[in-house]
Amino acid sequence: MLKGKLQLPDKARRVFPDRLGSLVAGLVDKEDENGLYDSVFESGEELEFIQPDRAELCKESDYEFQCEYGDDCDLSLNDKMMEKEDAKTRKRSEKDGPGQVSVMEVFAADEKRSDIEHELSQKEINLEKLRRIASTGLPEGGGLRGTTWKLLLGYLPPSRDLWEKELTENRQKYAKLKEELLSSPSELNAVNNDVLNSDELNAEGDGGGPLKRHGVSHEDHPLSVGKSSAWHQYFQHTEIADQIDRDLQRTHPNIKFFSGDSSFSRKNRDAMRNILLLFAKLNPAIRYVQGMNEVLAPIFYVFSADTDQQNAANAEADSFSCFVRLLSDSVDHFCPQLDNSPVGILSTLSRLTDLLKANDEELWRHLEFTTKVKPQFYAFRWITLLLTQEFDLQCILRIWDSLLSNPSGVQVSLSLSHTHTHTHQD
Amino acid sequence: MARRPDEEYDYLFKVVLIGDSGVGKSNLLSRFTRNEFCLESKSTIGVEFATRTLQVEGRTVKAQIWDTAGQERYRAITSAYYRGALGALLVYDVTKPTTFENVSRWLKELRDHADANIVIMLIGNKTDLKHLRAVATEDAQSYAEREGLSFIETSALEATNVEKAFQTILSEIYRIISKKSLSSEEPTPANIKEGKTIVVGGSEGNAKKPCCSSS
Repeated sequence: MLKGKLQLPDKARRVFPDRLGSLVAGLVDKEDENGLYDSVFESGEELEFIQPDRAELCKESDYEFQCEYGDDCDLSLNDKMMEKEDAKTRKRSEKDGPGQVSVMEVFAADEKRSDIEHELSQKEINLEKLRRIASTGLPEGGGLRGTTWKLLLGYLPPSRDLWEKELTENRQKYAKLKEELLSSPSELNAVNNDVLNSDELNAEGDGGGPLKRHGVSHEDHPLSVGKSSAWHQYFQHTEIADQIDRDLQRTHPNIKFFSGDSSFSRKNRDAMRNILLLFAKLNPAIRYVQGMNEVLAPIFYVFSADTDQQNAANAEADSFSCFVRLLSDSVDHFCPQLDNSPVGILSTLSRLTDLLKANDEELWRHLEFTTKVKPQFYAFRWITLLLTQEFDLQCILRIWDSLLSNPSGVQVSLSLSHTHTHTHQD
Repeated sequence: MARRPDEEYDYLFKVVLIGDSGVGKSNLLSRFTRNEFCLESKSTIGVEFATRTLQVEGRTVKAQIWDTAGQERYRAITSAYYRGALGALLVYDVTKPTTFENVSRWLKELRDHADANIVIMLIGNKTDLKHLRAVATEDAQSYAEREGLSFIETSALEATNVEKAFQTILSEIYRIISKKSLSSEEPTPANIKEGKTIVVGGSEGNAKKPCCSSS
């Protein structure tokens, strides 16, 4: 399985175990290492499903990014947004039935904020509790979402005391990887110039000739076609980089954080390009697949919006690690060689069909026999992109709060949401 | 698929859009089917399709246009992408020479996966970017002649030649199909008389052989 090839520390696997199998098996007999699984689902409130009318709700609430993202943009708490989050909660609660209105009102955004703040200030963070709060949606601003996502993804350990050390180490590691893998061969040559030149001259004995071959070996030069040539690989990666650039130009094109000619958005695109390119180099069997840009975007956006300057400045390094962790759960879907394997996208899609059949046979029958629409045509993008192309950014962040809160990983969470959505559409 | 009276058509033609990523396939599709163009469109993931019913050579034709991501990865999953396709619009970007150079790769892909008789049209898109043009019309024209493809240059943004491109390929498909059914020794399939419909491709497990498939 390709997962083994991912640059992923063991710790991440513990947080996101390979639980794709449980898509079909159902929830009841599954339990994670801490025994959290059952309790989380029993209480019924923690994992909030995506309602079919959610997209509409988001539109109604006019969730546009009104902040002009200049270089000095303040991405901190937007009061208006909070009010709307509040209104949204109320609105939803009305739908939940009259008996719950008062209970839901208690869960106003302010209280949730202080709950989260309280939880995050603990010396030892209770992940179960954090998941419970996060699954109902995290408040905007203040870096709460960024820190919570880092914890949910297992990038930050539950002990606060270890945070600084972990972050420093990871950020240094990222800087080193970047230096090693994202420099062009000539840049690398410049570093090793002396060594290379002397070796080469000694070996070839042409040091006395009138034309010296500085930094260019016989085997490796920009025109060499050998697969092992550093230049060959470099140009291959230029192709990947071009593809990444094309897609980054088209990532949330209506949001200034990502698009436009401002130095701010260009800086953000450069950082995302580094992350995706580095991922491609570290995972040669997968490389870059269109759509990864969409999966990265919410993470990088949230981390960049952190009010802690240190965190915001290191958004690139942190996003890289979290992106890898997030993909560890779904990376097999991006790999064509695994399409027909039990971990590939086709299996996941057929598990989704099974779930649909079990939960809403009428709809399943309609799709399967009447319209003959295969899940490849409607659910493929949902699953590979974790719903990122279906909603606007603000809604995606809210949905991801729930997806990331599932201790069994985003894919399980996603499938549950899908079947639940189907059932609600009836 | 259940057919409502307002959706009546004589023929359903499936046409696929192919070409490198970012050449404007999705915008050609939206310009043709909805007369829309979006400068801020996202990359296509997986497969999408849209239809438009129009008159071709006096017949009502429902054109079902399939669009997919430029990256190879996504066509592997949707093996049905080329199945039953009667036409292919092979798009390149007139401002990006590499997208033109890759046309031969796309032709090979069609030869490997599509019906041998598929009608192919080469489209040089984005002619509105005049100052950035990097592929000469003549070069593409002579390439198309050599390969036996029809050729047209379009601008999805300015809606130049988009209608013409689709009309041309649909007419060509129609001519081939009508010729085939004339020369066919088999009696005309019953559903033509009844509903005047030939559904080609699309649904799997359809036992009927598409009328245009290679003999």
